[in-house]
Amino acid sequence: MKRAFLGEFEEVVLLTVAILDEEAYGVTVTQEIEQKTGRAVGFSTVHTTLQRLEEKGYLASRMGGATAERGGRRKRYFTVTAAGRKALAEVKQVREELWNALPPQTLQLMGG
Amino acid sequence: MKIATKPPRFATWLLETFGHPDTSEEVQGDLLELYDYWVETAGQQKADWRYSLNALKLLWPLAKQKRNEQYTTPFFLGPDMIRNYLTVAFRNLIRNKAFSAINITGLALGMASSLFILLWVQDERSVDAFHANGKYLYQVYERQQADGKTDASYTTQGLLADELKRVIPEVQYASSIQGNHITATAFEADDKLNKMDGTFASDDFFRMFSYPLLQGTPETALATPNGIAISRKMADYFFGSPEQAMGKAIRYENREDLMVAAVFENIPANSSQRFDFLRGWKAYVAQNDWVHNWSNTDPYTYIQLRADANPEAVEAKIKDFLYRYKPKNPSFVEELALQPYLETYLHSTLKNGRPEGGRIEYVRLFSVVGIFLLVIACINFMNLATARSAKRAKEVGVRKVVGAIRSALMGQFVGEAMLLTLFSMMLAMGLVALALPAFNNLTGKQLTLPFGQPVFWATLVGLLLTTGFLSGSYPAVFLSSLSPIRVLKGRLQFSPGAANFRKSLVVFQFGLSMLLIVGMLVMYRQMTYIQTKNLGYDRENLLYLPIEGDLTTKYNLFKSEASRLSGIVSVSRIRNSPTTIDHHTGDIRWVGKDQNQTVSMADVLVGYDFVKTMRLKLADGRDFSTDFGSDSVSYSGFLVNQAAVRKFGYKNPVGKPLWWGNNEGKIIGVLNDFHFSSMHQAIEPLVIRLDESKPFGTVLVRTEAGKTKEALASLEKTWQQLNPKFPFTYQFSDQEFARLYKSEQMVSQLANYFAVLAIFISCLGLFGLATFTAEQRTKEIGVRKVLGASVGSVVTLLSRDFLKPVLMAILITTPIGWYVMHKWLADFAYKVDLSWWIFALAGGLAVGIALLTVSFQSIKAALMNPVKSLRSE
Repeated sequence: MKRAFLGEFEEVVLLTVAILDEEAYGVTVTQEIEQKTGRAVGFSTVHTTLQRLEEKGYLASRMGGATAERGGRRKRYFTVTAAGRKALAEVKQVREELWNALPPQTLQLMGG
Repeated sequence: MKIATKPPRFATWLLETFGHPDTSEEVQGDLLELYDYWVETAGQQKADWRYSLNALKLLWPLAKQKRNEQYTTPFFLGPDMIRNYLTVAFRNLIRNKAFSAINITGLALGMASSLFILLWVQDERSVDAFHANGKYLYQVYERQQADGKTDASYTTQGLLADELKRVIPEVQYASSIQGNHITATAFEADDKLNKMDGTFASDDFFRMFSYPLLQGTPETALATPNGIAISRKMADYFFGSPEQAMGKAIRYENREDLMVAAVFENIPANSSQRFDFLRGWKAYVAQNDWVHNWSNTDPYTYIQLRADANPEAVEAKIKDFLYRYKPKNPSFVEELALQPYLETYLHSTLKNGRPEGGRIEYVRLFSVVGIFLLVIACINFMNLATARSAKRAKEVGVRKVVGAIRSALMGQFVGEAMLLTLFSMMLAMGLVALALPAFNNLTGKQLTLPFGQPVFWATLVGLLLTTGFLSGSYPAVFLSSLSPIRVLKGRLQFSPGAANFRKSLVVFQFGLSMLLIVGMLVMYRQMTYIQTKNLGYDRENLLYLPIEGDLTTKYNLFKSEASRLSGIVSVSRIRNSPTTIDHHTGDIRWVGKDQNQTVSMADVLVGYDFVKTMRLKLADGRDFSTDFGSDSVSYSGFLVNQAAVRKFGYKNPVGKPLWWGNNEGKIIGVLNDFHFSSMHQAIEPLVIRLDESKPFGTVLVRTEAGKTKEALASLEKTWQQLNPKFPFTYQFSDQEFARLYKSEQMVSQLANYFAVLAIFISCLGLFGLATFTAEQRTKEIGVRKVLGASVGSVVTLLSRDFLKPVLMAILITTPIGWYVMHKWLADFAYKVDLSWWIFALAGGLAVGIALLTVSFQSIKAALMNPVKSLRSE
């Protein structure tokens, strides 16, 4: 089976889109990541990642209606596709399996 | 509170213009929204910065998705492959700066020279091509057979054109033109006075030749004896505009009042006929009685055949045309023949009774030289590319292993050559643009780079493809033939065949350079010979002044006044100019002459003291002199040259009778033969007669050596007193003489430049090869030096290899060079010998330059510390 490959940042972006649900577009995703992770993210990075995820089939996009602010330009909204959800689930599962496989003493040392 | 801040405009513009077109809308919107957010949270400065940074990162090439879901099937012309080829090509160029520079410079020089030659050849070929009736126009020339020799000349009888038109039905139009002597003539109108060049032509002239008339009609332009057709330039000068010039009076040579009957457009630069005015033929006939005698020739005759006429049939018809007007003479056969007018400019040398060669020889010569230079440059490229193939062999091996097919590799290498050629071509264009004014100066043309013409671009592309292909093909074949296993396993072994091929290329290259050097030397010697040859008269300190204006009637006064001035030795006059006496007559008879025979002789009219002024040598007899009253009777006495005496067969010629037409006179003096026409011709028999009454001609003034300046100043004063209306103009005899050989001069100079270029380009190549060999043999040289070899022996070792091909080239090209230059010299009646030392000198030069080039590298290699070259493995 072809394994879904998600980079760390891709995973973050994909999750953020899932969190934002219907409101996910370039700006909100960037701000959300900034707030949630506390790290400074370039918009261009987010944009390229969104594009890449869409190319891989994990995201779908549609253009929103015309807006009054931002010079009347439309927004591109992203939603997670079934494949995206599956990929997220897989990643999560792998993580959990790995966590579960941790020896208890190590887990204690990490303060878990 | 919301402050209406705007993001940096430049960044927005960048994004709009270069952003990825598929997502530009939402990206711009998103960034704008973020910008407002950043302004609020981080301040405007930071917002500006972040905005610009993000915009930059989103520009098209960076934002483009490089990942393809599906890999295309590998295709050697796929965009990725092409990108790779380009990258590799550039890296190679930059990594080997010296070799790239040699290649590009060599090719650029070669291409620049061929471009020059191409422009020049095209211009030569375009001369006279603009005449609408061009293919129906023919020049009539006369073929003469006498003493078993066939000669031909373009000068024809004065009434021939009119008679041809009257008698031969296929001749639609016919025109004479006094094309031999297009002379500067003084005009005066509206208080303006100036000299213009022009001549006489028949009524049909403007109907035949496409010189558009701005005013007047072709039918009337030359129809009246006192009418004149003038150029736009002349009309503008005298009357302000062509319209105002029409019908106005203009004074001709201060002796006739003419009326402007037509104004024609200025003669285009690519016309072989050049004039600013034309007068009708009726006026010419009225002024020249000799035209009624069919033994005399001077003007050129052109005819236009009807569209349905067969030129060969017409030629057969007019063959014996002259015998309608003069008796047939078995020992002197005269025939008329036709030459298409479009060929006359390039094929104007008449030999053995027909046009053979002329400027076309230079056109051919330079075309060949252009190709030579290009080939030499291409050989550089081929040699360096193959010699250095060891460095690219690994690349070829790897490419082959991952599946490159041979044709793909060949395409790659040819493409690389094309790329390099493209750079060279750009450089060459720059060179041409820079050097064009100098080239125009040299060739006397007005060439420009015709960027507007699609043909020119097509030629450039053609040149690019040919050069690229020529230089890239052999390296491509060679490199793509390498076997990947051998290449990747160990060091590449060159087969002796490849090295031999390289050597033979060097032989070829140096052979061509040698040829050019020999050509340069021979031409230079011949030109010096012509220019310093004793002409039989002293051409230094001799001035020519035109007889014009009041001088036509006051010549005697001028002569006596001028002779008294200090610095002036003597004064005389001549009908045209001593450098070109080309008027011929068949009217001379002598005792013992075969009555049926017509012998054409050069003739000229001169004034008193002619021999003294020209400093001619008298073999016998005396000059025309006022001391002998009998001289003033026309036709009473003749001066002849020795060639004429030989023709007459007189033993003691002085005092012997001679008839010119029906006039009898005596030979009063015999002149040593002197050159009165170009050195291409042997000295002809010449008969000189005294006649000071003609209203035209040239005053000859002999000045004292070193006092020319003084003499000119006082001459000008005298001139202004006697001839106040005309500006004082003069020419130096030696300069006039040099003008006779203008085209030879030009060819000789161009040959110099091209020979230097050829040897330079060849040496560039040799330099490259030497550098490469020295590099390759570093270790060997190191070992040799450690074992005790001296610097001298190492240098000899390295240089010897390069000398062999150069010596071989000398051996091969010597006979070819001899043959070619022998043919060139055959055109001169007076010429230098082709001595052996010319070839020795050329060979010595080639060897010397080659040695110099190579030794720089070999000495450098030999001086290197062997420790350095042997330390690293």
